[in-house]
Amino acid sequence: MDAKTALTLLLVIPLVASPVVYLIGRISFHQSRGQYIVARWFALAALASMWYPLVVTAKAVLADGGVDLHVGRILLRMDGVGLFLAVTVLMLSTLATLFSFNYVSGEEDEEKFYALLPVLTATMIGLGCTRDLFNLWVWFEAMAVSSYLLVAFYHHQRNSLEAAIKYLIQSAIGSLLVLLGISLVFLQTATLNLDEIRPLLAGSGIVSLAAGGLFVVGFGVKTALVPMHTWLPDAHSQAPSGISALLSGVVIEAGLVAMLRALGSLSEASPAWGALLLAFAALNMLYGNLMALRQTEVKRLLAYSSLAQMGYMLLGFGVALAYGIKDGAAGGFFHIFNHAVMKGLAFLAAGALLYALHLSRGSHRALVLDDLNGAARRYPVTAFALSVALLGLGGLPPLSGFMSKWQIFLAGAEVRSTPLLWLVIFAALNSVLSLGYYAPIVNRIFRNEPSERVLKGNPIAPLMALPLLLLTLATVALGVWPSLLTWLTEPAAQGLLAAFGLR
Amino acid sequence: MIFSLPNIAIVVVLGLFGVGLYGVLISRNLIKVVVGLQIAVKGALVAFVLAGRLSSQVDVGQSLALTVIVADTIVAVVALALAVQVRRKFGTLDIPSLTSLRR
Amino acid sequence: MAGILIALCIGLPWAGALLVWWIGNDNPRWQHSLAVGFSAAGGLAALALIGLRSQGAGLSLKVGGAFGDFSFVPDGLSVYLTAIATVIGSLAVIFSIDYMRGEEQLGRYYALVLFFIGSMAGLVLTNNLFLMFLFWEITALCSYGLISFHNDDPKAVAGGIKALIITQLGGIGLLVAAILSYSYLGSFDTNLLLQKAPELPANVLTILAFGCLAAAAAKSAQFPFQTWLPDAMEAPTPVSALIHAATMVNAGVYLLARFYPAFAAVPNWREAVMLVGMISALMAALMALAANDLKRVLAYSTVSQLGYMVYAVGAGGVLASQFHLLSHSIFKALLFLGAGAVIHAAGTRDMRQMGGLGSQMPFVRTVFVAGALALAGVPVLNGFWSKELVLEAGLSGGPVWVFGLMIFTAALTALYTFRMVWMVFFGENRGGLHAHEAGAAMKTALAPLALGALVSWLLAGPFSRLLAETLPHHSIHALPTGEILLEVIKAPATYIALAAVALGLAAWWWREKLRLFSEALSGILWVAAHSFGFEAINRGVVSVTNDAAEDLRGSQTGLLNWNVLAIIIALVLVLLLLALGA
Repeated sequence: MDAKTALTLLLVIPLVASPVVYLIGRISFHQSRGQYIVARWFALAALASMWYPLVVTAKAVLADGGVDLHVGRILLRMDGVGLFLAVTVLMLSTLATLFSFNYVSGEEDEEKFYALLPVLTATMIGLGCTRDLFNLWVWFEAMAVSSYLLVAFYHHQRNSLEAAIKYLIQSAIGSLLVLLGISLVFLQTATLNLDEIRPLLAGSGIVSLAAGGLFVVGFGVKTALVPMHTWLPDAHSQAPSGISALLSGVVIEAGLVAMLRALGSLSEASPAWGALLLAFAALNMLYGNLMALRQTEVKRLLAYSSLAQMGYMLLGFGVALAYGIKDGAAGGFFHIFNHAVMKGLAFLAAGALLYALHLSRGSHRALVLDDLNGAARRYPVTAFALSVALLGLGGLPPLSGFMSKWQIFLAGAEVRSTPLLWLVIFAALNSVLSLGYYAPIVNRIFRNEPSERVLKGNPIAPLMALPLLLLTLATVALGVWPSLLTWLTEPAAQGLLAAFGLR
Repeated sequence: MIFSLPNIAIVVVLGLFGVGLYGVLISRNLIKVVVGLQIAVKGALVAFVLAGRLSSQVDVGQSLALTVIVADTIVAVVALALAVQVRRKFGTLDIPSLTSLRR
Repeated sequence: MAGILIALCIGLPWAGALLVWWIGNDNPRWQHSLAVGFSAAGGLAALALIGLRSQGAGLSLKVGGAFGDFSFVPDGLSVYLTAIATVIGSLAVIFSIDYMRGEEQLGRYYALVLFFIGSMAGLVLTNNLFLMFLFWEITALCSYGLISFHNDDPKAVAGGIKALIITQLGGIGLLVAAILSYSYLGSFDTNLLLQKAPELPANVLTILAFGCLAAAAAKSAQFPFQTWLPDAMEAPTPVSALIHAATMVNAGVYLLARFYPAFAAVPNWREAVMLVGMISALMAALMALAANDLKRVLAYSTVSQLGYMVYAVGAGGVLASQFHLLSHSIFKALLFLGAGAVIHAAGTRDMRQMGGLGSQMPFVRTVFVAGALALAGVPVLNGFWSKELVLEAGLSGGPVWVFGLMIFTAALTALYTFRMVWMVFFGENRGGLHAHEAGAAMKTALAPLALGALVSWLLAGPFSRLLAETLPHHSIHALPTGEILLEVIKAPATYIALAAVALGLAAWWWREKLRLFSEALSGILWVAAHSFGFEAINRGVVSVTNDAAEDLRGSQTGLLNWNVLAIIIALVLVLLLLALGA
């Protein structure tokens, strides 16, 4: 298989699989006594079959620096950044699908869930490799729509509906601003190819500044920059847990990659983008941590912690863009991957507990901190996985979150500037503050006296625990041997810096 | 020339945007919010057509506008479907009563 | 060969941790035996490593990039601290067989203890600043996990989180030092830092020096971070002995000693180090005098003794500080484990309930008194020699008034030590407690420590050679044991200190007659019992943060229009900022 075919397959398989899954689900439903067994395994098979073309593409990208694919006027080029996003997305969505088998089993519209998952995956992979500004928006919008539908999966629940409609309106405003920005760029340059735009906008002043501002705020809604974040805690806590994991682990990061792609085309216009990202980094870290500190609902707490974690990524990328420090970009990408693993794990483990304690007993109540008391006695694997995820998010070694934060902080010091050293110290202080809410949860989990709900909880199926085990393993492995992922983050960092003309 | 086509179009774009966003900002009714969004998107459509014309790539501008119409319609359909569900479950489309998720 | 031993020192306890955890809580007998086996094997490896000490890297694994290479150097300072960590670690594990018998979730306990032992060995063995920070944080993680081992007890949970957060706050100092040193030197090698320190820009070196001081103060529970250690006493007692007396809290002193040659020339740094040590030593001694909880007295005395070591480093006495560290590890582990035996038997930590327990547990009384005499600095136990070395170094390398206060602290040390021993083992049995003698495993752990407290000072000569041979930057001179001891005996500081110890003893002996004097002191003791206001500051910071967080939650209104407004305001602000910047 040559690389072009592989890249084509990578995008075509999930997009074709989606309607097929839906049809299979509808047709086979009556024969399998209210179960969607065929549909769910077909969806998983579709995602799993994408790994082979991904490996082929990856080999070509790492060897030649990129794989080009022309679709009409649009250029799709898989480079380091796109490859990074594709690997991260496919990893998490495969595991989240596997996790959801039991989780959404027997729910209304289960077949739509499995039909939408491959679409969400495909849109993020496409978003990562497009080189056309407008096409970027199309992928972005398609990703947004599929995520609206997935957030609204429990559409018979009032809270889910409320979260979904709020998410939709705010996200739509964001994409509207992006559209306006694109039209400004198109007006100025008469082209939409990202690489062609860059030299054309060199020093072109106010219009490209406005376009950049629109991109930052527009994509920033999806990326959950404070104060455009207000949809996030609602949507992430109300979605089915597998989707929460994807939303927190890769969707908001895909928004960040889209923003970086768009800003890359404006990098000649202004040097301010890095500094802007640094400002949002500080805001996100502090706000996210403070909001999570007194939170009592587990999934909502994890959602707020995503705001803070986004802050670290922004810190890395901000340093990279403002000062051309490669470690910043590499650390940022490393943190995106680790966050996908850790936050994915945290949401899946919390979801497994939510399922065992509430959902499987027919209740749609939120999982609160008190429910976790003594969970380790009854659910050792899940409880351990959740603890690893939380401590990793808090930046404790030997877990992967420590490693990527370290790389980001190191990049901050490499600038050799006093204000940036203060920003790094501020980030480190925030990391300590975050332990103020992660650590007590771990203490709860390992109590001897189980809560009432834990005592009455249902067992967790092995199929549900398998993704948890794999993600736990990844968190520890990357925390012990950080260079395991260098092959992926270094080309991504190079690609990003090249897109900004920095190296 | 003040009343040249580009200038008029820019005023239209900004006007549609302003009206749409203002509607989203102040409406207490979910349907009106969706309508506000739609109006603002129409501003973006005009902007693309204008950009296509000014850069003498009318076909590109129009095809972009068409794509936006399609995408935007999908969003509107989803939004209205959700609004219908909201009306069924909450019994109202009033935004201030959609505040059970807070803090 | 050295590489293999290094791998064993770290790897054996870690492997044991995995195994004990894997085997599950249904097999407590296996858990006990495996934990003892792996920790003892680690101890043997560490002792063997002493013979293979060298300046070169014993083990180096290629990682590169932002993480440096994972390399370990078995120099004198490292190998002896590794030996302390693993040997006292295995004694604490042996002690735990009796102490933790019948506890729930034993796997978690042993896994964390063993994980800690291996990480502590890694912390002192590595010469990579990044790895040092990594192990630094792992030991904090284990300490947190073990302090709050009894998760159902809110005090234990609070103590654990407090310890974690305060040591992490200080740890930022080490983080900054490590990343800055990489930024300017392009490497994480500690020896390179020691070598190239004079070439660094002065302000960078200052940040490095004070960053390390902050990290060390937080880890070693020194002023102004001392508050976490007393609350850490909620941990099971073997953990207090191992982590919060003999090993982890020494990491701060180790850090200062390791980088002393690099930072000594930084203006005001040595003075700051001495002051931190002096203030901690004095304050903690006063607090120990006011405390009634047996373990808290020992915790305060640990802070106080660590203060001596920090003081010695500041005064330039790296050898003295490390020798006192060795003595202190032995006698404080002994005291804690002895206290553990008492608490296990008596069921309380309150010394006011105790009294006269000596007749019921003579073995524990004997070894405890040996440890207490060493702590008080009574000849000829190991604490005497090392404390005299510290004071001598202080007199020659620091201001006299600080020396005077340290002498005063020595008197206080004797006073609170005798008070503690008396309240626990002698006098009348106030609480009517029925204690039983320690079990076999407890005795097995206590006996070698008691022996160590009696004779470890005889190692002064070999110890000085150990450090002198492999630390090229520290300018430590190797002397035979006889000369070192003679030096102590000849020094005037020794007699001043001895007089102070005698004064402390006398003050306890005639405490009834000195009532007037003690009433005058009661004001100070009241302040000491309230931790000189530091607890209030801690509580204030926590409650301000919590209140701010609680108030901020109102910003998530849940009202769609407000959310949209926030987006539009952000847009306006961003555009404005960009326009202003252009």
